[in-house]
Amino acid sequence: MSFEADEEILQDFLVEAGEILESLSEELVELENDVDNAELLNSIFRGFHTVKGGAGFLALGHLVDVCHGAENIFDLLRTGKRSVNAELMDTILSALDTVNDMFALVQNKESLVPADANLLAELARLSKPDAAKPVEAIAAVEIEQSVASNEESNSSDEMSEDEFERLLDELHGSGSVSAAPPVIEQVPVSPSTSSASSSDGSSDEISDDEFESLLDELHGQGAFSADAVDGANAALSSSSDDIDDLEFEKLLDELHGKGNAPQFVENALTDESTPPPVEKPVQAKAEVPKAVPQQSVQKKAQEAPVKAAAKKASSTPAPQGETTVRVDTKRLDQIMNMVGELVLVRNRLTSLGLVSDDEDLNKAVTNLDAVTTDLQGAVMQTRMQPIKKVFGRFPRVVRDLARSLNKEITLILEGEETDLDKNLVEALADPLVHLVRNSVDHGVEAPDVREALGKPREGTVLLSASQEGDHILLTIKDDGAGMDAEKLKSIAIERGVLDAESAARMPDKEAFSLIFAPGFSTKTEISEVSGRGVGMDVVKTKITQLNGTVNIDSELGVGTVLEIKVPLTLAILPTLMVVVGKQTFALPLASVNEIFHLDLSNTNSVDGQLTIIVREKAIPLFYLDQWLIRDFVKKSRDKGHVVIVQLGNQQVGFVVDSLIGQEEVVIKPLDRLLHGTPGMAGATITSDGGIALILDIANLLKFYAKKSPVNKKLRS
Amino acid sequence: MKVLVVDDFSTMRRIVKNLLRDLGFTNIQEADDGSTALPMLQSGDFDFVVTDWNMPGMQGIDLLKAIRADASLSHIPVLLITAEAKKEQIVMAAQAGVNGYIVKPFTAATLKTKLDKIFERLA
Repeated sequence: MSFEADEEILQDFLVEAGEILESLSEELVELENDVDNAELLNSIFRGFHTVKGGAGFLALGHLVDVCHGAENIFDLLRTGKRSVNAELMDTILSALDTVNDMFALVQNKESLVPADANLLAELARLSKPDAAKPVEAIAAVEIEQSVASNEESNSSDEMSEDEFERLLDELHGSGSVSAAPPVIEQVPVSPSTSSASSSDGSSDEISDDEFESLLDELHGQGAFSADAVDGANAALSSSSDDIDDLEFEKLLDELHGKGNAPQFVENALTDESTPPPVEKPVQAKAEVPKAVPQQSVQKKAQEAPVKAAAKKASSTPAPQGETTVRVDTKRLDQIMNMVGELVLVRNRLTSLGLVSDDEDLNKAVTNLDAVTTDLQGAVMQTRMQPIKKVFGRFPRVVRDLARSLNKEITLILEGEETDLDKNLVEALADPLVHLVRNSVDHGVEAPDVREALGKPREGTVLLSASQEGDHILLTIKDDGAGMDAEKLKSIAIERGVLDAESAARMPDKEAFSLIFAPGFSTKTEISEVSGRGVGMDVVKTKITQLNGTVNIDSELGVGTVLEIKVPLTLAILPTLMVVVGKQTFALPLASVNEIFHLDLSNTNSVDGQLTIIVREKAIPLFYLDQWLIRDFVKKSRDKGHVVIVQLGNQQVGFVVDSLIGQEEVVIKPLDRLLHGTPGMAGATITSDGGIALILDIANLLKFYAKKSPVNKKLRS
Repeated sequence: MKVLVVDDFSTMRRIVKNLLRDLGFTNIQEADDGSTALPMLQSGDFDFVVTDWNMPGMQGIDLLKAIRADASLSHIPVLLITAEAKKEQIVMAAQAGVNGYIVKPFTAATLKTKLDKIFERLA
């Protein structure tokens, strides 16, 4: 195939067909609850059809096979020759999974493997009309069948128009319609034309020859518009069988005049030996209601004009050029990066402007400040995607899971339109899937258990997203069994995540967070569904990497709520700049709770850990310079700045030498040499032109506070 | 020669456009279904329409019928792209006034043959 090498088209296909596949998965789940939705059936059919078409061009044969099978099934469904059942849905869904897997292979430039033979066989089996449906429905008289299928599924235009035409033939006799154009003998739907080439065997498929002879029959041997092209014919007389581009152009020139010539159009029209055959059906349509006594047909015919009118109306809007452009995300990343640089320069200029007394400079700087902020917002906007992209896969996830666990669960999605950064949308997908699976698997009880508890048999899982200032709040809420804090604690002690003493002191809310501790799984048996070794700690780590936080709350017997907060974008990070020793460090502002001045002598040591009391709450305290300054020499200080940061449910205090203030920074990844330095998220350029390291607080504590007993708690 | 390629799947439009370009057609515009194609045809001087059959909104066959029914457009040759060469479909298309059909997937060579046949008949 000539397109094998065309990488660009392949990429386009992957993107566009990928979108189709996404909506297919949504539509399929929808279909299960709305099995007779003709529009939905059509749309799914078209989805598989389109993907198949594209795959055909790109020589992705195995992909074509699967799509073809699915397409055939939906062709039957939409024409009412088969009906949806759970078994069929399972097959279709696994076909979709196979298609998705193949997509992944193509994306990774790996060669495709043929689809599972069983699946293909199953698809083929289902592609035959439903045995349960009476055979007569298929073999029945044309009229009945078309009427039936029209009624049943209000099926596609393509199909019904065809049936309609045949219906008309039956009703009026072939070609008897008075308005039929003179040249066109009503061509019987199959036999006569195929007789010439019936040796071809297949009666459904039409061959080139057949088509040619069909056209001959329709338009008379020869040409469409003989008169208009006499001259052209003469010019081409030498070789009438083949035509090359040059001749072709000449021909066009003769036909329409150089450039364009409206009068030739007129000419072509009158000379056209094939007046629009469409006239016939249109005329006939009007007659049908009178001629046909059958009520259903009447109804259909009456509907037809209405539909046509509606279609007309929708086609009237003036043509508009494409309003969207596809841009490689790499390019957007580049722009974002450059805007980031600009923000840094702006920060630098702003701080210079503060020092200078030049009013004009200050004005210009203020102006630049405003423009940069707008630009930053606008660029961020281009990278925004509705969270729907992630949410869209959940109906399927929940459906499959509920089916395999024999639970009854309704998934409610809210705030699907909430926009957030593309990278975030992608990064959040896995953690969210994990959490939702958890809710379905561990949260919601089995229907019988629920009934016994006086709850509705059907459990509910709510997944919602909303924007809160510069953060996105994601909530996963179920009305399941809730979590038992005491049980969690005892398991934690058993697994050595927690000691008995701290467990006793631990408030319930903190205990819930124990599920995020590494090596903690509340199920003793690993279920196929969510206990796959990678536990909630991975989810937590992932979200922390996104500068996000997870909050969990639960009530026994009522349900569990998980709240995830992530910043709108990853590219620009609001930070608190602090000085430790002689170096500047940036703490992500999102995790900073408060800052205060502390009398450092006013501390206590609990369990060997330095602690301060803030509003009657004990908070572990660390000296950042002990960790971050080379050749640290202990100096005696009696007063110091303390920054309280929040880490999950836990608060930690850091003593720093001085505070600079709040600054928006652009995260630059650390160089290869420094990459992986514990506790460092990256670096940035400060407004005074210096370099500041951005601290990754969770990592920092993990690495440095290792020996401290508080760490166990922190990691939970 | 101004060609309108009608398909709801933009990748397919690109493929068809590339093939047409390989065959020497350079003035190609796109529409994503029949209902967007029709006003474009009415306002632009298109010489040829290549349309997919199966599209949301207005199908290829309906576009074809609309073209044949519009006095100012009825002269425009139409090539219909289909997934299968189902006889009844093709017959229906022929009755509606189609000039040619081509089955997906196809190569530039196949497309050329089809186009040649169309223009041969027009000649």
